[in-house]
Amino acid sequence: MLNLDYMWGLLPVLLRYLPLTLQMATIAMCFALILACLLAVVRVSKVPFFNGVALLFISFFRGTPLLVQLFLFYYGLPQLISALISITGVTAAVLGLTLHFSAYMAESIRAAIVGIDRSQTEAALSIGMTQSQLMRRIILPQATRVATPTLMNYFIDMIKATSLAFTLGVTELMGATQKEAAGSFLYLEAFLLVALIYWAVVEVLSWGQRRLEIYLNKAYQR
Amino acid sequence: MPLPRPLNISLAALALSVASGLFATSAQADTLRVGMSGGYFPFTFVEQDELKGFEVDVMNAVGELTGEDIEFVTASFSGLAGMLESGRIDTIANQITITPEREAKYAFTEPYVYDGAQVVVRAGNESIQGVEDLSGKSVAVNLGSNYEQLLQALPNADEIDIRTYESNIEQDVALGRVEAFVMDRVSATQVIKEKGLPLELAGQPFSTIENALPFRDDEAGREQRDRVDAALAELRESGELREISEKWFDTDITQP
Repeated sequence: MLNLDYMWGLLPVLLRYLPLTLQMATIAMCFALILACLLAVVRVSKVPFFNGVALLFISFFRGTPLLVQLFLFYYGLPQLISALISITGVTAAVLGLTLHFSAYMAESIRAAIVGIDRSQTEAALSIGMTQSQLMRRIILPQATRVATPTLMNYFIDMIKATSLAFTLGVTELMGATQKEAAGSFLYLEAFLLVALIYWAVVEVLSWGQRRLEIYLNKAYQR
Repeated sequence: MPLPRPLNISLAALALSVASGLFATSAQADTLRVGMSGGYFPFTFVEQDELKGFEVDVMNAVGELTGEDIEFVTASFSGLAGMLESGRIDTIANQITITPEREAKYAFTEPYVYDGAQVVVRAGNESIQGVEDLSGKSVAVNLGSNYEQLLQALPNADEIDIRTYESNIEQDVALGRVEAFVMDRVSATQVIKEKGLPLELAGQPFSTIENALPFRDDEAGREQRDRVDAALAELRESGELREISEKWFDTDITQP
């Protein structure tokens, strides 16, 4: 029943849009990681004032749908601040993904930090390490290992969330599929194909994740 | 359909743009940026990465007359109004129906398509012959379209279960997931004819609709509107508008 010829012909067309999808997700992931680390450290060390800001930030970006945030940035804010009009759809999508996912990731990094046994902090401080040495040398390397699986989860989720960028006029993988399906009315074929593409990408990433975990686990091998 | 713009933003440039909020993409004056969904056969759709359809042909013909470059921008239908209002596109060519609310907000051209709202059901569904039979039935409409308002204005509106969709309403009626959808008669006929989905028209169109191009209602927007209006009148005069219509619909939908 499947029109395989159509799917085969559509594959190279859709693959042209895959790089944009991956680039948006990768750039957003890099920024989100940096931001999430900052937020997590601020939360764990309870830095005065900034702790409150971090709490508010996480609360808002975890508490509202990504689509709402994207519409707010791209369509809403420019009505207040006209300079924001010059932000492109790609930039807005990357910005939205960054802020949204950094809120989630901050909490999972914080959990990883808090999960390191208190005795290690005490040991480090007892031999005269400063707070920042403690973070860099003792806590973060261990927290990285703990946080990696959940952070990869967020990256995978982020790749799929780029499909919302079509609402901002960015034709990425999903937008291209929707338009092609509208032209052919072969919905099953078009969406099945795009599902397989996303799945394949995530499988490749999962393989990378397993390699990374093996690497991070080296110190724990017996 | 051009390839996706290469993502020529380095990390530094992005960081800069995020920090400053300045990312210059101001359009040249001789470019008309036309927004469309790319998902409304046969008005605007994509085949093998090429944007096609009635709207595309009409706008290209308008551009030839006004001397402007036509730049097509595709986005989800629900994003188009926001793009127009925030100045990212100049008009929307997606069969936008003139309504009092929209007229208060936008500067419209003269109508270039005259059509009617049509109920469509799965083939063989005899229980719906017109809008009066929609009581107690589920009816799909597209999000952001004005068919929801048309349905709400019916005497039996309270008894209709209106479902709003982002896309794929034809598919869901064909699957039997909802009992009917409402769309303009012209593209409904076209969908049934060309795409072989098990659908059929239910009764006569229940409302006349006039579709036109909306522009921002400010000085620059009205100027663009006047230019495009003049071009549309010329296309109508020369018969080119009718030819484009006949190419896609085998009939002239540009006359009242």
